[in-house]
Amino acid sequence: MANKPKVAIYWLGACAGCDEAIVDLNEAILQVVETVEIVLWPLAMDFKYDRIEAMGDEEITLSILTGSVRNSDHEEMARLLRKKSKLVLAFGACACFGGTAGLANFKTREDIFNWVYRDAPTVVNPETKFPQTETRINGKILTLPEFYDHVYTLNQIIDVDFYLPGCPPPPDLIANAVNAVVSGDLPPKGSTLAPRSALCDTCSRNKKKPSRMEIRQIKRIHEVEADPDSCFLAQGIICLGPATRSGCGETCIKTNIPCRGCFGPPPGVVGAGPKYLSALTSLIKAETDEDIREIIDSIDDPAGYFYRFTEPTSILGRKMPGKQMEE
Amino acid sequence: MEKYNPKLVCFSCKFGWGYLTEEPALASKINSWIPVVCSGKIDTSHILKAFRAGADGVLILGCSEGHCHYQDGNVQTKKKVFLLQKVLETFGIEPQRVEIRFSLDPEGKSMPHLLNKMKENLIKLGPVKRL
Ligand code: SF4
Ligand code: SF4
Repeated sequence: MANKPKVAIYWLGACAGCDEAIVDLNEAILQVVETVEIVLWPLAMDFKYDRIEAMGDEEITLSILTGSVRNSDHEEMARLLRKKSKLVLAFGACACFGGTAGLANFKTREDIFNWVYRDAPTVVNPETKFPQTETRINGKILTLPEFYDHVYTLNQIIDVDFYLPGCPPPPDLIANAVNAVVSGDLPPKGSTLAPRSALCDTCSRNKKKPSRMEIRQIKRIHEVEADPDSCFLAQGIICLGPATRSGCGETCIKTNIPCRGCFGPPPGVVGAGPKYLSALTSLIKAETDEDIREIIDSIDDPAGYFYRFTEPTSILGRKMPGKQMEE
Repeated sequence: MEKYNPKLVCFSCKFGWGYLTEEPALASKINSWIPVVCSGKIDTSHILKAFRAGADGVLILGCSEGHCHYQDGNVQTKKKVFLLQKVLETFGIEPQRVEIRFSLDPEGKSMPHLLNKMKENLIKLGPVKRL
């Protein structure tokens, strides 16, 4: 046991979907468990944090961290595991770019608290009590983590060695990543362990893309019966494929759902949201200003579309400039 | 308290605006002026970066419709701006902070005036609240 590489799997601001994806490795997970010693994995096993605290620096070979950083507890655990680990893998869209939780940055902490603890129709809170980091009860102090006013990506808080995007990442890329660490056959630090091309380059619907695309009406996927083989964009359905990295396995595209962008942008793209916005508008075909506005107004929540997984890395959305991975 | 003086970034097409006047002479009247070859060259990320860097507003001056040197660069930018205005609203930046105007003014005489007019509107809005 002593010589097996130690691995920690930990959730920060995550939904457990990423943990579930690791469980979904099925038989392969048994092989993984054979070759490594799992020292922390709250979803699957019972561990005590003080055991991690007692470990030596870099004693853990790999920490797989899922989720964004939204509160002081996430930050503390991220820092602790960074200190105790040789390698840190940002696992899943939330850890890499903030994920869907990052859309909360469109609201302030105050907006969120007011809604969740006061204004939402299902809330009963007659004394309008909000969570406090410290509460005194019978002479004892109860504490809660501090809810930050911003959702951070993992690399805005700690140094990250590798990235594996996806919501959640697909089994083949997870297995590759773990094998790469176990065998020591690692790409340069900072690499994203996924293909470099854009989704459109590998999408089977690309062949059916007309050479000159024109969008005269924007449609939402649930409003139409989309052709199962044609390019979504050519059908006027917003698909993030042109601005998204490939490697997801195209589960969405195969089930007739357009790409939402959970793999983040392809390498070298700075500002994927605005790039996509420009590309989309260039396809819009309309004569008068009114017609242009009408088409654009029919896009519900465009910011939510273009930044669905990446708001905290965006030009306007990020809070600690200069430290992020490529956008 | 110091009077609020909005910071404005102005992009203008070199084919339609101010090309008969020496650039430094015009630049002395317009702070943060970025002449570009075709307003179609203005990327949405340039506009976002201007706001990130502290701009209170962005003014884009393109050629009149039908007069674009590259066929329809101006119209392409207009479409971008219309959609960007909606996106900016979600970030807490009012759509009036990005203005796009099409006209031709080879001497650029109207440019300082257009900037001042936009500044007046921005003074009513006050500084960008979120960011
Ligand atoms: S990336 Fe997706 S599956 Fe993973 S924690 Fe975030 S929301 Fe859940
Ligand atoms: S836009 Fe979407 S459907 Fe069209 S080729 Fe790209 S990924 Fe495929």
